[in-house]
Formats: sequence, C-alpha cells, structure tokens
Amino acid sequence: MTTESMQEHWQQLVTVALLGTDRRDPPNPPGPLADLVADTARSSPSERMLAQVAACTAVRRAGVVPGPVLDEIVVPDTDARPMCVPAAVERWHHITASWPVLEDEWMLTLIGNGWRIAPELLPAMLLRHRSDPVRRTRVMVGAGDAGRWLVGHLADLEPRHSAVSVTPEALSELPELPIAPELAEMLDWPGAEAGAVLAQSIEAGSLGQSHKPMLVNLIARVRPDALRVLADALNSVDPMATGHGLATVLVDLATTRHRMLEELMR
Amino acid sequence: MSAAQSLATPTRWSQLGADRTGVWGSFQGSGAEPYDTMVDHARLGFACSCPSRQTPCKHALALLLLWVRGQIADTVAPSHIEAWMQRRGAALSRAAAAADNEAGELSGGGNATGKPDATDGSGATLDGAVIGDEQPAPPTPPPDPDRNTARDDRVARMHAGLAELDRWLDDRIRTGLADPSLARYATWDQLAARLVDAQAGSLANRVRRLAGLVGASPDWHDDVLAELGMLHLLAQAGRRIGALPDSLADAVATTVGWQVRQADVLAGVPDTDEWLIAGRSDVREDRIEVRRHWLRGVNSGRWALALSFAAYQQSLDTSLPVGSSLRADLHRYPGPALRALVGTRYHDPVDHPSVAAQFAASACSIADGCAEVGVMVAAEPWLDRVPVTVHARLARAGQAWALADSTGSMPILDLGTRAFDAGVAMLLAVSGGKPVDLTVEWTPHGVVPLSIHLPDRTVDIGPRANTSFVSAA
Repeated sequence: MTTESMQEHWQQLVTVALLGTDRRDPPNPPGPLADLVADTARSSPSERMLAQVAACTAVRRAGVVPGPVLDEIVVPDTDARPMCVPAAVERWHHITASWPVLEDEWMLTLIGNGWRIAPELLPAMLLRHRSDPVRRTRVMVGAGDAGRWLVGHLADLEPRHSAVSVTPEALSELPELPIAPELAEMLDWPGAEAGAVLAQSIEAGSLGQSHKPMLVNLIARVRPDALRVLADALNSVDPMATGHGLATVLVDLATTRHRMLEELMR
Repeated sequence: MSAAQSLATPTRWSQLGADRTGVWGSFQGSGAEPYDTMVDHARLGFACSCPSRQTPCKHALALLLLWVRGQIADTVAPSHIEAWMQRRGAALSRAAAAADNEAGELSGGGNATGKPDATDGSGATLDGAVIGDEQPAPPTPPPDPDRNTARDDRVARMHAGLAELDRWLDDRIRTGLADPSLARYATWDQLAARLVDAQAGSLANRVRRLAGLVGASPDWHDDVLAELGMLHLLAQAGRRIGALPDSLADAVATTVGWQVRQADVLAGVPDTDEWLIAGRSDVREDRIEVRRHWLRGVNSGRWALALSFAAYQQSLDTSLPVGSSLRADLHRYPGPALRALVGTRYHDPVDHPSVAAQFAASACSIADGCAEVGVMVAAEPWLDRVPVTVHARLARAGQAWALADSTGSMPILDLGTRAFDAGVAMLLAVSGGKPVDLTVEWTPHGVVPLSIHLPDRTVDIGPRANTSFVSAA
C-alpha cells in the first residue's frame, strides 16, 4: 500500500466523517488495512468507520516520511566583526528586564568597539524597537547584513513606520538623563568619594526612595572607572538602615554597568 | 523507604493502634479522605486505601516504622481491623491447605510439613518474616482482598468510562463532524468531566485539547478525525488491557490516566547515564503550565522526558539548563514510556565543548529522523510529541517553513497567521539559513524547533511560558 493510496483512502474517510455514517457508509479499507480492521464483531457502519480511522491514523503517523527536498534559501553576507560574548548576551537580557536605562550604552559600546550583535538577540531587539527609528537603526548597524536579511524573511520584524532619516549624531550619542544639580556634580568624582557621600546620605536618610530615579540616572552616567568602588561603598550601607534596600538596588545597577562595559571592551 | 520515613510522624496519623498481630492507623494525605492503613506484622500482610500499586506502600512502611520505634500504643483492634485480620487468617489457611495438597501430590517435594521450606541457613522463618540483605527474598504475600477491591473498583470505573467514551465517539461518527454541537466547548467539556470521574484524567486532557482543534484551521476536520481515531484506539486498548503484553498495558494505562505515584516510580530500577539536556518546551494545558525537558542518554542513546508543572504564580523547574549534560539516575514510568523522574544527580549540569560535540554526534538526517520518530510512534501510536535531533537547514515550502536537507523535509508546525513564531525567527537568525544541529519535537501537525546546538553553545528556542502566569519561565 503506497503513501498516495493511504492518503486517498484517508480523504474518503474524512468525507464520510463530515457527513456521518448515518448518511454514508464508510469506504472499504484497501489492502493490508482491511486485514488490520477485519473484525466481524464490528457490525455497525460507525464502528467499522472508527476502526478504520484509528488504524489509518496510526499507520500514517508511524509511517512518517520526509517531505520533498526543498531549495536552499539565500544566506546573508558574512560579517567579519566578532560576535559579542555570551556573557554580553545574558547581560542584555538582564538590562532590558531590570535596567533599561543602560540599553543605549550597551548598544553604542558594542558598535563602538567593533562587535557584532549575537544572532540570538536579533529577533527580540528588532521586535522591541519596531517603533523607535534611532534604536532600530543602531540594531541594524550592530547586526550588519544579517539584520536586513532577517527582516526580509519575517514581516513581523519590519518597522512599524516607513523609513525615517536618523542623523549620525542621534545614532552615536547617549540620550541625556535628568539628574539633580547637587547630584550631577558627582558625575566626575572618583568612585570612592562619590560612593562615600551616597552611602552616608542613604544611611542618614537624606537620600531615599523618592530620589531613586535621579540616583539611577547618576549611576547610569557616572565615570565608568568609578563604578566598582562606588558599588563597594554602597554595599557597606548598614543593613539595619532604612535605605539599605535602595543601596542594594543601586549596587546591582553599578555592578551591572561595570560588567557590561568590561564584557564589551576589546 | 525514604518516602516512608517522611511520613513516619505521629502527628500526621490518627486512630493509631497495635496489638500482637497487627498495627493500624489513618494517614491524612493530599486527598480529602484519609488513607486507612493496616499491617499484619505477624504474618506479613498489608492493606491501604491509597491508590498506590506498590506493595507495601509507603504508608504501610511508615506505620511499621512508627510501631518499631514504640510510637504506637497497644490497644484493642476496631471491628474493621478485626474483620480484616479474620479474612486474612482464613485466606492464609486456605492457601496453606492448598499447598499441603500440592505437596502431597508431588510426594516427596518440599519438607516434612509439605509447606514451602520456611527456614534458611540463618534460621529465619517465614512466620518471623525476617527480611534482610542476606536473607533470600520471602515468598510474595497472598494478595490482599481489601486492597484488590479498591483497585478493582478503580478499574471498573475506568472501564465504564472508556465504554462511555467509545459510545460518544460512535455518536459523533454517526452524526458527522459537520454537526454544530461540535463547535460548542461544552460538548467536549462534559465528556472530559465524565472521563475525570472515571479516573481517565489524561484522556480528559486529550479531549479538551481536541476541542481547541475545532475550527482552528481550514483542515480541522482532518485533525479532529485523526484524534477521534486515537481516542477510539485508546478506549479499545484500555478495555482490553488485561489481554495486552505487560509493557504495552502499562503504556496504555499511563496514557489513559492511571495515576502512578512518584514514590513508586522512584522506587524502580534507575536508568543511569550521562544525560544531554537536549530541549525544552512549555505548553499551557488548561490552567497548568507544563514544561517538558527532553533528555538523551549519551551511552544508551535513549530519550527521556522530565515534566514539571506550575499553576498560576508557581515556578517551573529551572534545574535542567538546555545544552548541558548531567550524570543522573532517571526512573522511568511503567511501560516503554519516555516519561521519567530525575533521581540522584551525581553532579551539577555541565556545559563545555565536549557536550556540544555529543549533540553533534547524535544529530541525524531528515530521513533518519523520520525513521526514528516512526519507530517510537509505531510502539505507541497515541504519542503526540516525540523528540529528535537532526542536522538540517530552514527552507520555504510555499508560505510555510520547513526543515530540509538532501534527504527531504519536515514541515514546521504552523502557529497560524496571527502568531509571531519566535522559534522560527530564532532559528532563522541563529542559523543564518545554513545547516545546523537542532533538537525538535515532532508532532502530527509539524515539528517544533526546541534548541540549536552550535559548536560553542546551545541556544534554547523552545516555546516559553508567559512570565505573567508562572515564574522561572
């Protein structure tokens, strides 16, 4: 019994099943299938039909055969840039889930240091920035030809709006973040000094949860070489202090940014 | 025994008591009704109202542990315990008489009493029932009438449920799939509820999934008819379970929904190997998120399936990272089932280049992959997910995607026009259209890509649970 004759018989069964055996008798099973379902105990048309359907389904599923050989699809051009390391991939997931304020810096550092975006990040990045021409353009720069190729195959990844021109400045500059003037002066301080002031202020309660957005922005833009010492200082906040929770959150931000920059250095 | 030890706490028991022949008590398990457990410690017999097929069950062992620790006071046996003891005494007497007769007929076989030789070299007697590593295994205790009654009741209910399922299928086939009642969820849900009552929970889940196929695609009649055929096959096999070979009978029982307790599975012989964690997929089934981890033995080449479940706000298992390998004992469910529980782990999952090489070594062509799937489905035609690792590239088959190589192609499961297929997007991005090693789940409607095995890493691309429903997704 060939795959074609089994398929033909199955189509006959589907037709009878649609109408019901009250209206049409089941077809006679062909060849070996007849032996499989031969049973005088099955007297009614519906019982004979069910037996055929079960046997035919089992045979079709167990007899799974490959479909036709298909043409290869055109592959994208090779990108000579090295792919970013797996730790950077994990970091991007952490950043987008917890510290989106760092995402622009992640992308600009990657592009600036000559890395290529890991392909497993591309679908998520292209979906995430369908409506943001600046960030989407950065993704396409970081992805190279693979980005254009992927979008060409999957309409779901196309941008929501028609092409918008993006200036080179907008592409390469980090967006400005609002930081209170009394905190902004710390942007250029050494890590130990900035860390000590922040830790003392948090411990004393003069910086609290209401200041969190400003503190997040500060740490997202503070000198990169200050991050590790800053994190150490914030880590020393008294666990009994009311600001300990805030300090812990800021330690994670500082550590995340420090590691992000290390992973994307070359 | 380890399962029993955690239950051997007096606070979890009520109506505890013992006398010179027996020990008894009621254990409050996860069900609404407590399990009544009785042990004949003098003549070695057990009875428990729990559904475990293990003899003795963990409740009986826990009861014995409490008794040997002196945590059960002597008291007068309640009437139902006394009745059970009397029934046991009568049954044992009949068995002894039958053995006497048989020994007499054999004239000269056995010992002077005609009973089985109850002594071994150390002098332990059958009555004393000393069970130790050095002792020969004692004869199997006679079947317990009460325990068998409970099981028989369950089997009878299941048989009745399967008969009702077959009648329902027969009605559907008579009236036809164009019958508008099939479009109503209640039509399916009522049948599913009756199957749950009949202890056929797995079939009930299958029926509810089937309800979702009605009208879901232009070819839905085709898909629904095939599933009705599988339900008929299972209903027929379930009703003839006693006539099936043991292994197939176990497979049918598990597929129909016969509950096997985890402790019983863990008590089985382990399948020890270095297990490659080849793929993962999360699927919402009713109100439960089900995570499937597909593992493949490096030495045996055998597949195994580890399941975890999470209801709303609960966590799925994250201890089996895809792309790593783990030396562990797997305990398989009865029959040829792929499903297993992970027992002892001999180390944490490791992820190094040799693991990637092992994945590459296990990958086969599309044609060989189809043959591998066919073998597994021929053994259990009702399987609706089968894993396979192939070396293939993405290709277009009209508007749909497929995996292909020089031996043929396999269609990728089409999620419909409205769903963004993250798996295909990831496969396309990571492979760049070139051939890769990948683990997929075969389903009757197409394959689901689960993971891509690259020389330096494995990328997990399987369907992932919604984090707003369960955590650790």
